[in-house]
Amino acid sequence: MARRKGLVINDRQFDRCDVLLRKLKEVTGSSFLALISTSGQPITTASDSYHPETLSLASLAASSFAATQQLAKILDENEFTLLFHEGKGLNLHVSQVTEQVLLIVTFGHETQVGKVRLYTQRAIEVLRQIFEAADDTPPPEMDADFESSAGTAIDDLFKDV
Amino acid sequence: MPLINFAAREINYKIVYYGCGLCGKTTNLQYIHRKINPDARGKLVSIATEEERTLYFDFLPLTLGTVKGMQTRFHLYTVPGQSYYNASRKLVLQGVDGVIFVADSQITRLDENVESYLNLWDNLLGQGDDLSKLGFVIQMNKRDLGDIFSVEDLNELLNHTGSSVTEASAITGEGVFDTLKVVCKQVIAKTG
Repeated sequence: MARRKGLVINDRQFDRCDVLLRKLKEVTGSSFLALISTSGQPITTASDSYHPETLSLASLAASSFAATQQLAKILDENEFTLLFHEGKGLNLHVSQVTEQVLLIVTFGHETQVGKVRLYTQRAIEVLRQIFEAADDTPPPEMDADFESSAGTAIDDLFKDV
Repeated sequence: MPLINFAAREINYKIVYYGCGLCGKTTNLQYIHRKINPDARGKLVSIATEEERTLYFDFLPLTLGTVKGMQTRFHLYTVPGQSYYNASRKLVLQGVDGVIFVADSQITRLDENVESYLNLWDNLLGQGDDLSKLGFVIQMNKRDLGDIFSVEDLNELLNHTGSSVTEASAITGEGVFDTLKVVCKQVIAKTG
């Protein structure tokens, strides 16, 4: 059966995710958290300050995670559900929430890997329920004039200068 | 399907430049990065070999701005053109909303074009996508060179779906934005 699965997030889910991410940030002592789609697009973040490279980070983390999944297949492993990079000052932890959602956590020496893993795993169980509940909720309608307004914006932006 | 975040009022579309090695995919992105309003673009990320051949992908996020209350973005990706990187190409295609197939117009590159074109459809069908929802444009690139196919001939050789076709010279920028406009409008129309 042909499929084109989209990911649509409503207000309630978004608020619940936001609250959970802020809580997770607090209990793990991590510096930056982001929920992203497996196709590399950010959903929401929890950070002390705006991260200017969130889009690149999301794209690279999702691609890296996808490559890891393929490595698992080649190695006859069902799946690798976690990607971890250890740096001198900062660590990166990427884990799978659902088939379409990943959770990124970055943290330094002020906390421990075990603590991050434990609380992240617990948070994922709740996040999974939030996203799975989404499938039953009909998405809001896009504005009827979105297509024509976007077309005008595209013509304005994509012109040779 | 794009990622639609109604709560954050955001919508993100994924566009992938596909084609054989050295056909001009990365050159398209580099031109867009150079010429577009810097406020509307993010950083151009390239995962390339030491010889500057794409190893995994290039990535360039573009912000269209707020359209009817929705912050609208296009995330542009390229795939590695060389055939032995097919596993990477499949990964980049995941979640794609629109594809620009960059065809090298030179007569000597026909075999590579056909191989890449067939490989694209193999990979799209392999991931089970509903292709009627996919934006698709064929960009006939390198129109500025000698010994090239006519548009009609290349169209007959490659365009089995009767898709939109644009002409370009990515190195000079000719047709680069025209191609992008076509596919962006298609993905918005097709995904609602």
